[in-house]
Amino acid sequence: MQLRTLIHTSVFRLTLAYMALFGASAIALFVFIYWSTLGFLERQTNAVIDAEIDGLSEQYERRGMIGLADIINERVMRDEEHRSVYLLADAIGRPVAGNVPYWPQNLTDTSEWVDFVRAGTQTPVRAKILRVGQGFRLLVGRDIRELTEIDQILRRASVYGLTLTMGLSLLAGIFMALGSQRRLAELNRTTRQIIAGDLRRRAPVRGSNDEHDELAANINAMLDQIETLLDGMRHVGDSVAHDLRSPLTRLRNRLETMASAERPRREDLLDCAKQVDHVLDTFNALLRIARVESGAHRSAFAAVDLSRIVADVCELYQAAADERSLTLTCECTAVVEVFGDRELLAQALTNLLDNAIKYTPAGGTVGVKLERTSDVAKLSVADSGPGVPEADRERVLHRFMRLDQSRSQPGNGLGLALVKAVAVQHHGKLTLGDNAPGLIVTLELPALTPPDAESTAPEK
Amino acid sequence: MLAGRSLLVGDRPNSADETEQRRTVRILVIEDDKDVASFIRNGLTQAGCNVDLADNGKDGLFLATTETYDALVVDRMLPGVDGLTLIRTLRASENSTPVLILSALGEVDDRVKGLKAGGDDYLVKPFAFSELLARLEALDRRSKSAGEAPATTLRVADLELDLLRREVQRSGQRIDLQPREFQLLEFLMRHAGQVVTRTMLLEGVWDYHFDPQTNVIDVHISRLRSKIDRGFDRALLHTVRGVGYRLDG
Repeated sequence: MQLRTLIHTSVFRLTLAYMALFGASAIALFVFIYWSTLGFLERQTNAVIDAEIDGLSEQYERRGMIGLADIINERVMRDEEHRSVYLLADAIGRPVAGNVPYWPQNLTDTSEWVDFVRAGTQTPVRAKILRVGQGFRLLVGRDIRELTEIDQILRRASVYGLTLTMGLSLLAGIFMALGSQRRLAELNRTTRQIIAGDLRRRAPVRGSNDEHDELAANINAMLDQIETLLDGMRHVGDSVAHDLRSPLTRLRNRLETMASAERPRREDLLDCAKQVDHVLDTFNALLRIARVESGAHRSAFAAVDLSRIVADVCELYQAAADERSLTLTCECTAVVEVFGDRELLAQALTNLLDNAIKYTPAGGTVGVKLERTSDVAKLSVADSGPGVPEADRERVLHRFMRLDQSRSQPGNGLGLALVKAVAVQHHGKLTLGDNAPGLIVTLELPALTPPDAESTAPEK
Repeated sequence: MLAGRSLLVGDRPNSADETEQRRTVRILVIEDDKDVASFIRNGLTQAGCNVDLADNGKDGLFLATTETYDALVVDRMLPGVDGLTLIRTLRASENSTPVLILSALGEVDDRVKGLKAGGDDYLVKPFAFSELLARLEALDRRSKSAGEAPATTLRVADLELDLLRREVQRSGQRIDLQPREFQLLEFLMRHAGQVVTRTMLLEGVWDYHFDPQTNVIDVHISRLRSKIDRGFDRALLHTVRGVGYRLDG
């Protein structure tokens, strides 16, 4: 079982591939060494034999057959190591001179190299045959016992070396595969525990900064993100329950009171309908945010004149601002086009203005400004209200997140969440800042390049 | 919602052309949700309409093509033939009965699809009955006046709006209006005698299709009211509580 899982690891398979590669290289190396050492010795031996044959054939030219036989006998005498082999034989193979008792069997008449086993000492001999005079043959050779011994040593060394290489790389492979498998098994164990429901569990990071650590760190970061999202969901769920419980409770109480009365009053009924409308509005706003976040609108995105929307919405709110004794200014000089959904952008600005007008005390100012900086459309809504403390600025973008001081105001805490969703869908950025005093909300969207950009460019 | 009861033109005794308005308005409601269907039928019957119901697209299409109605209320999702197909089929056979689409899908692209299929107006569920009634009435009025030559002057009592010269007068006294106030008044005058809701105003005058949370429309109306009604004995621009506004002589 353990071995089978080991064989299936990718590291082990890689090791096998490396083993094959190492084996092939080792064999190539041995072949080269073999050729350059043994081959060299063999060539040297052959050269010595060739030189002797040349020398002897020259002696034969000069001193004739008798002289040749003399020289051969003399050389045999002088060869103390008995490594040289000579045999001068007549036409029917009888030895005339030399240190071989008879013409070796199966030795044909050839000018090529011949190998045979020397009678008596039983050692291998490398030789060449030279024809001299009428039918005489001269066999000149050398004992190559050392060569064959080296050959055997080299072969043995090759086999041992190869076996050792392969064995070591196999061991290394198993070792590496086991290590890698252990880390992955840890990760797998963690993920299984998370799947089983233990979301707090995290993959161990060893601090070795290797790819396993990186994977573990990434998995952990992903889990953190999932946990944050889940917390967000839980928060939304709780908030929905909480925010809808109050109006529904009021509605229920009212209906109960009405049921006990003789004739329900019309105002009470209308009031009940209003309570229900409030609940429905909250649901609709939630659905709308969810729908915007799902990106369902993106298919209908088109070039939209943002300056037109700003002018429209400002105009829509001008009267409301006047009524609350607020000064609403709208600064929108250039025509700025963005790629988006007209209704969503208008609703986003509406929500921002709604907030600004709602929270700014009478006599204050609300300023809407649309600017264009190279490729960014910057839409800001600034007010002179109480503002949002820096610590809460990220928080208020979440669904149902209302600051304590705003709980007395009507609203469902979904306005900014929708603006945020609209901003994200338009690849924009929503930031809350300090207007000192007050709040400034800035929505930055990628601006479309106007078709006449080239002609207006020189202004810069 | 009970306010809707007094809305329908037929209920008002001092209507301008009584005989015309008195005839019973026939409406076909094609809706598969029984509760919604009976809610609409009860309301419309109370408002004095004659209501036929169909609970699937096939029956609805049959009724719509064989009978004559003043308006159709069509749910978008229907068993059998779906709402949009039904409307397309009707329009293809040159039936121009005004159609109000009801739908749980309230996004702009859904609305555009509905109107493209040949619907005349689009109402998102859940809706207040008064909103449905106001919209049906507007549709009915629009189809009745479709054949008339486009008016260049609109009149309600002593209030006059000259579309060509962009001028408004009341009892011969000129009233200065901002361009948007002019548009608002024009919309109200075209729907004179009817209730128009806040969403109808936002759609008709500003061309946006969402509900602003604060009372932005109310403020515009009260400004307009101060311009056209202040200093005159008779108020023309009335608030219909919980529903919207009505410009009436």
